[in-house]
Amino acid sequence: MNRERLRVMQSRIAFVMSTLTALFGIFWLVFIIGDVLIHGIGALNINLFINDPAPAGVEGGGLRNAFVGHLLITLFATLIGVPIGVLGGTFLAEYGRDRGISRFISALSDIMVSVPAIVVGTFVYALLVKPLGHFSGWAGSVALAIIMIPVVLRTTENMLSLVPWTIREAAFALGAPYYKVIIQVVYRGAATGILTGILLSIARVTGEAAPLLFTSFNNAFFSINMNEPIASLTVSIFQYAMGPYDSWHAQAWAAALMITVFILFITLIGRLIIKWRYKR
Amino acid sequence: MMEKALEVKTLNFYYAGKTHALKNINFPVYKNSITALIGPSGCGKTTLLRCFNRMHDLYPGNRYEGEIIFNGINILSDRIDLIDLRSRIGMVFQKPTPFPMTVFDNIAYGLRLKGIKKRSELSERVEEALKHAALWDEVKDKLHVSAYELSGGQQQRLCIARALAVKPEVLLFDEPTSALDPISTGKIEELVIALKKDITIIIVTHNMQQAARVSDWTGFMMLGELIEFGRTDKIFTNPSEKLTEEYITGRFG
Repeated sequence: MNRERLRVMQSRIAFVMSTLTALFGIFWLVFIIGDVLIHGIGALNINLFINDPAPAGVEGGGLRNAFVGHLLITLFATLIGVPIGVLGGTFLAEYGRDRGISRFISALSDIMVSVPAIVVGTFVYALLVKPLGHFSGWAGSVALAIIMIPVVLRTTENMLSLVPWTIREAAFALGAPYYKVIIQVVYRGAATGILTGILLSIARVTGEAAPLLFTSFNNAFFSINMNEPIASLTVSIFQYAMGPYDSWHAQAWAAALMITVFILFITLIGRLIIKWRYKR
Repeated sequence: MMEKALEVKTLNFYYAGKTHALKNINFPVYKNSITALIGPSGCGKTTLLRCFNRMHDLYPGNRYEGEIIFNGINILSDRIDLIDLRSRIGMVFQKPTPFPMTVFDNIAYGLRLKGIKKRSELSERVEEALKHAALWDEVKDKLHVSAYELSGGQQQRLCIARALAVKPEVLLFDEPTSALDPISTGKIEELVIALKKDITIIIVTHNMQQAARVSDWTGFMMLGELIEFGRTDKIFTNPSEKLTEEYITGRFG
């Protein structure tokens, strides 16, 4: 009887503790998102999307340049980072699975995942911005791609490794060459996982400001020329939130809301694709 | 004299790291018959089975010596086209291995590898293979759902259908029922027996009753050696070797 009571007690303590910590975590999450929502929605208006920034101190203006620039930088970062990450992960899990170099690259990627983004920013500054003599959208995309690659690479490697070897052997036993086994069988088995990794990596870099400060910098004017400095939402938030004007603060809130919504949107798309794939 | 589909001649096999896994194996495999390989765990029966479609080539460092003659050619030769060989000698594994795609695409996989693209021909061959594997009636309304939605026994028959679709001459079974319940096992055994009128079958099994039920010829292996090979009824009723008798009667293993 005594032991049973002790066990029930332990169970209750564990339940209460885990509930409290969960609530603690959720509280801050709701607090942050709620704050962004309240301030952001109030600041949203159509001018934000169709106008470029007004001169400092002048009321009005918007962040059209930053929205477009942000999309461009993220898009090209994805186009650079995802193929490298997926193919690299494929090498690690398939062709190079028994080699020491693969284990070395895996370990290195794990370290790369947690390298501070600002270090990547300064690295690309030294690699591209300094030699070319100017900030550029390309440098921003490269910096974000460098942050994406280890995430995509490790997810791809892990997801491919989860596909059982017997499935590959079964495909080999039907006379399939290795590249067809990978593309037609293994990728299918791992597709949802790899896609999730890609989306997570996009969500991750979309919120980065530090690497862009050193690379794509900022641009007060509308530009789609990736060879020039280009505005981005995160750098604009940084600049506006630090600025002296209330209208800047409001626009920073609105931009923060839009990034949050964008990340939510990516995640939702990912889930929809996963659902749709499973149905087929 | 019965026609031989395969003949194993002084076969030795070494895993990477020099384990001598198969020692001087000799035996014939007769056409349109079922040959069972039995023996205690680790005796090399699966290793032997995987020589016939050169599965060992997937992993570096493995080495064959000797010959396996198939249609007059030594399939252990370096000049053999493994892709062609594997489409002629198919394999069914211990656990069902459906691919992550629909039932139809699973069966069509090997056909598409062979370059068959016409939808009508694919449909025809898929239906034929599923009927051959006695699965058609159960899945004819589920051709376009994921193969993972089938039961374990159905998945295994799907794998058999997939192997049959490319019309192999020989089919290798590696303990095909060890992950299945008795009813599914019964269906697979019936299927295996029915298949032998069209193809040659080699089956590795842990289950001696299964070997006795389905096979015409039996090879008993131990520690990498083929101890005895002969007619199944003879092996199970009047074996020549003492070791065989001891294994059959359950004194070890």
